[in-house]
Amino acid sequence: MKISTGEYIIRETMLSLKRNSWMSFASIGTVAVSLFVFGMFLILVVNMNRMTDSLESQVEISVYVKDEVNEGGIRTLEERITAMQGIESVKFVDREKAMERFRDRLGDQQFLLDALGDTNPLPNSFEVRVIRPDMVRTAAEAIAELPGVETAKYGQDVVEHLFDITRLVRLFGLALMFVLALATLFIISNTIRLTVFARRKEVAIMKYVGATDWFIRWPFLLEGVVLGCLGGIVAALVLRGAYRVIAAKIYDTLTFFPLIPENPFLHYVTAAILVCGMGIGALGSTISLKKFLKA
Amino acid sequence: MIDMKDVSKVYENGAMALDHVNVHIDKGEFVFIVGASGAGKSTFIRMLFREVLPSDGSLIVNGQDVVHMDHSDVPYLRRGLGVIFQDYRLLPDKTVTENVAFAMQVIEAPRRKIQHSVNAVLDIVGLRDKYKCFPSQLSGGEQQRVAIARAIVNHPALVIADEPTGNLDPETSWDIMDIFKRINADGTTIVMATHDKGIVDAMKRRVIAIEDGHIVRDEAQGVYGYEN
Repeated sequence: MKISTGEYIIRETMLSLKRNSWMSFASIGTVAVSLFVFGMFLILVVNMNRMTDSLESQVEISVYVKDEVNEGGIRTLEERITAMQGIESVKFVDREKAMERFRDRLGDQQFLLDALGDTNPLPNSFEVRVIRPDMVRTAAEAIAELPGVETAKYGQDVVEHLFDITRLVRLFGLALMFVLALATLFIISNTIRLTVFARRKEVAIMKYVGATDWFIRWPFLLEGVVLGCLGGIVAALVLRGAYRVIAAKIYDTLTFFPLIPENPFLHYVTAAILVCGMGIGALGSTISLKKFLKA
Repeated sequence: MIDMKDVSKVYENGAMALDHVNVHIDKGEFVFIVGASGAGKSTFIRMLFREVLPSDGSLIVNGQDVVHMDHSDVPYLRRGLGVIFQDYRLLPDKTVTENVAFAMQVIEAPRRKIQHSVNAVLDIVGLRDKYKCFPSQLSGGEQQRVAIARAIVNHPALVIADEPTGNLDPETSWDIMDIFKRINADGTTIVMATHDKGIVDAMKRRVIAIEDGHIVRDEAQGVYGYEN
């Protein structure tokens, strides 16, 4: 492409944005809203994923050891569990420690334990963690088979529910993003269609005097990309600000909440929004030009 | 320059605009296409710059096969042609100079060449002193002269004009015809569809008459032949 052609394309794009300034403004706004919701869901889904992952990974298998197993047996058992596949950590909790914890958890109601006197009904146990949440079931089943193990329990129902919820949020988020992408595409292609329509005489003359399709297409394509990009910038700025405010609030009140830190996460989200905006802008222009250039 | 063999055109609604038409036009000719509205004149003209594709037959324009041409080659066919319409089709927000230069910009001509060529054609059509005007500040005849300047600025081998004097009064029409004559004298082929009996009869050039999609008359120094 020649330099003068590049100049021409940029000049035409700017002129057209200015000439249809209200329409441009409206479409930047709509793109911004769509991309904002898109970004919001992106952030939500990624955070949900992270949260469920972290909750899932916190799911432990409680392995209760039979009372008759002696200290040596306990050590062998620990070694055998540690040697199994997918095990992250194995921690031994003896019955006294377990009682202590139980007492702590009861707090004000420790008197309930008075009835027990000096007897300790709690067994020795192991707290076993696995590398990946989906390994919990198989690991628990395998551990339960070991000699000297009374039972191996984990929060089956909780894990299953978590999986279901995560899946649902991901699915819903993806579906919503898809719908929003289509809506944004529609808005941009309509805006460009209006621009093309406003300039149809010019385009017709360009065709009569022998301009190539690409020469005609470039300014419109660029216009779509600029609209998408500007909308994306607005959406990204608002989202970044909002995330900062909300994150600060969450850290103040729910310190344990596994929110993803701003950097570099927000940069990735911004990049995703801009790329989506520009891509959708380019695609929108291409769609509205396709029919027009055919003739 | 134009070789039309057995060309027919049937539109999607079933209307037959041209029915097995054979025409040969040599380089340097000045040809009038005459006929009533709806006779097929417009289809004939629009086929030459491939705005309409023949349904059947073969058509060579300026050495290029219009029928079997790729869509991407159409711009290069049109660069060898100049097209002029009854309604001028100028860009209202561009000056005379910009309107003419536009035809060179879109084919990516070098800037210096654009300036030189635009001045030259504005001299030919006699609008050098109005180069800064916008179309709305010009008379119909002047606007058509701008359109002619735009059509010839890329030195086309063939100029196609569809009723170029249709909106003009007789005196202005003659000014336009003078320009066409001069362009033709320089060796450019001209094909012009017209309703203007006075012009056709006075020019004494080749006349092709179309009626109901057929060529009914093709005379070397013809007359309009219809009562207006």
